[in-house]
Amino acid sequence: MAERVRVRGLVIHRPVIYGNTATVLTPKERESLSFPDHTHRWTVAVRSAASATDSDIVGGADDLSYFIKRVTFKLHDTYTNPTRHVDKPPFEVSETGWGEFEIQIRITFIAESGEKPITLYHHLKLHPWTTTGDPEIPSLENAIKLGPVHSWQYDEIVFSDPFQSFLTILTDHPPTSLPKAKRKPVPFHVANPASLEASKGGVPEFTTEMEKEEAGRLEAARKAVVAEQERWRGILIEKEKELERLQAQLPS
Amino acid sequence: MAISASDIRSALSLPGPSAPSAPQSTLRKAQSQSTSNKPANNFTKKPEGISRELYALIGPSAPSLAAHLAKPRLKQKPNLGGGGKVKWEWRPFKNGARGDSLRLSHWAKEASDSDAEYPFVKYNIQSTPFTYSQDEYTRFLEDRDWTKEETDYLFNIVKEYDSRWYIAHDRYDYPEGPVRTLEDLKDRYYSVCRKLIRSRPWAGDESSKAQFLSSYMFDKEREVTRKGYIASLETRSQAEIAEEEALFIELKRLEQNERRFKKERDELLRTLLGVDSGLPDVIGEEDGPAGLVGEPSSASVKKKKGVKGTIGIGDEVPTTPSVISLGPPVPRRPQSAKSAAQDAIHCIYRSDPPASSTTVQKNTHVPAHLRSFKIPLPKTAIAPKVTQALTELGVQHARLVMPTRENCLQMEALLDAATALVETKKVVDRVEQETRVLRVRLGVRSSEGAEGNEPDDVEKEGDEGTPMEVEEGKEEDGRAQSVVSTRSGRGRKQSRRSISVSSIDTSASLSTRAGMKRQKRS
Repeated sequence: MAERVRVRGLVIHRPVIYGNTATVLTPKERESLSFPDHTHRWTVAVRSAASATDSDIVGGADDLSYFIKRVTFKLHDTYTNPTRHVDKPPFEVSETGWGEFEIQIRITFIAESGEKPITLYHHLKLHPWTTTGDPEIPSLENAIKLGPVHSWQYDEIVFSDPFQSFLTILTDHPPTSLPKAKRKPVPFHVANPASLEASKGGVPEFTTEMEKEEAGRLEAARKAVVAEQERWRGILIEKEKELERLQAQLPS
Repeated sequence: MAISASDIRSALSLPGPSAPSAPQSTLRKAQSQSTSNKPANNFTKKPEGISRELYALIGPSAPSLAAHLAKPRLKQKPNLGGGGKVKWEWRPFKNGARGDSLRLSHWAKEASDSDAEYPFVKYNIQSTPFTYSQDEYTRFLEDRDWTKEETDYLFNIVKEYDSRWYIAHDRYDYPEGPVRTLEDLKDRYYSVCRKLIRSRPWAGDESSKAQFLSSYMFDKEREVTRKGYIASLETRSQAEIAEEEALFIELKRLEQNERRFKKERDELLRTLLGVDSGLPDVIGEEDGPAGLVGEPSSASVKKKKGVKGTIGIGDEVPTTPSVISLGPPVPRRPQSAKSAAQDAIHCIYRSDPPASSTTVQKNTHVPAHLRSFKIPLPKTAIAPKVTQALTELGVQHARLVMPTRENCLQMEALLDAATALVETKKVVDRVEQETRVLRVRLGVRSSEGAEGNEPDDVEKEGDEGTPMEVEEGKEEDGRAQSVVSTRSGRGRKQSRRSISVSSIDTSASLSTRAGMKRQKRS
């Protein structure tokens, strides 16, 4: 148990994505289902952030089972066996359905990590993205034309002061780094509505370019806020002077 | 010091020993003939650029040498500027830095563009005048020795004289204030500026902030000491100066002696013990730095041992440790620089653990988490406004496309800035409210007293008395204003934080979801 020693001052993370892909079922497919009212086939998954070069899915270049023991997806109660445990990669669940709902995802780490499971939520996205965020649901014919819907969130699982043994496991599996330049469509995200156009036309892929782009947006926003703050400070100072002037008049 | 006559003669290029001429003309003639032959060999041939003494030594038999020794000539001047005459003309110019319309003239090349902007305009830099609000003053700037009024006065005077401190100090005359030295003024001014820079949100990155901050550094103690030194230096008497110089020379002499001793001792050691002495081969004045760069500590440690072990030259030993003490440069950096790339591949981030808190850390282990969970929340009281301000800028609080470490930090800074902005606006609101109340009271007073010396003012007060009007005025001011004035029920957003953090749904799709669920259940 000499290995059960924490490496202090070290933080290690693994980039992951979680989310879903949804496609509209064709009338033929629908007939063969036991639930005739289901309109979409969807897959919810937890994957590594980088995409394999010639894959038709978002992310998933690395096998995450070296540090993830189990992923539990908690579906809507109307599904049979709503709690689905996935102990082997790929960590994903495929189902058919007709409505969007919140999926609880619970990630359990391998025993060596000594970490508790983490819980996150994903809103199952079936209907195409819109810029305005209108809740309107397009007709199925239109939705088929728009192609599969992708809704993925990038995040990083952060381990602080990991055990030496766990650290060794992690460093034995360096994650595939994200590509620097855009090769495929950009994954759409509501925090960046401008990316809607760029997200069309195929299976999206996460890139480091997106990170830089976001950093730029945040910085621009901060500069705007600071400039605004300067202006308001000016206003405040003037108002205070006025107040002072009035106060000087008061006792007289 | 015997200079022979021939030397002088040759130096003056006199024609040989014939000069002290005998009266006998015949003799002179004969001699002059002989000398005319001799110089022909001797110094008529002496080429230029070779000294007389040298020529006397090498003689005429070294023509090749003489060619090399020819006096170097100056290089030809490079021909710059075409050599043509330049026409200048006296013409008026426009100085963009002038506020008034005064037109001055200057000499300019005729060929130059007369409409060109005055090139020195860019040097007319205004220093950034710092101002602070009452709120900021009470929070950060209070000082026992300074009242707010005097601080205001100081800032005005510094601004008026454009930070020319001697003038500002000369004109500084705050009624009933204590006597301030120049250092007092500077200290107060710069410390206020520093506090303001620190407390305000900064638009650039951290390093530029630190740089800006350092330009406002002022160490009063040091400045006073420095001036004290200069004053004492100026007031030295002649005798003191002489003594100082004598001491300095003595010191130099001692140092030189010590160096010589050391050299001799090392020399001796090497001769007596050879390799066993452990001395590096090159020893001299420069061995300090050379030894440090070349072989960091082992050589110098060995040297120290050798010295101590063999000969106990007591007073010499301390000189070597002084070299060693400079020695141990911590060899940590190169290592980490090498592994930085490795860390990047493995997504490792190292921070130096706080020295004393190893035990504390054990208790407060940060569990595994998603990076985006750690984005801080704005204070509950102002959260809706902060969120709204960010939304207006196209940023969704607590939701990032790529929540990497850098982006989360960026988000944090943005939140801080937005919080500060909202707080400033709140203070503005408060001050406005107070002003309004005061106006009304003043209006009442003046109308009661029937003095009515400022009827316009009263009317204006009447206008602004209604809160509606003020609100409208604010709306006109622009986008950010609406942040303050609009009161929206945004509490809902905040209460469902865990959802918004972890999922990328829209509020729009949220509503669909709610609808869906209802449908499902029904």
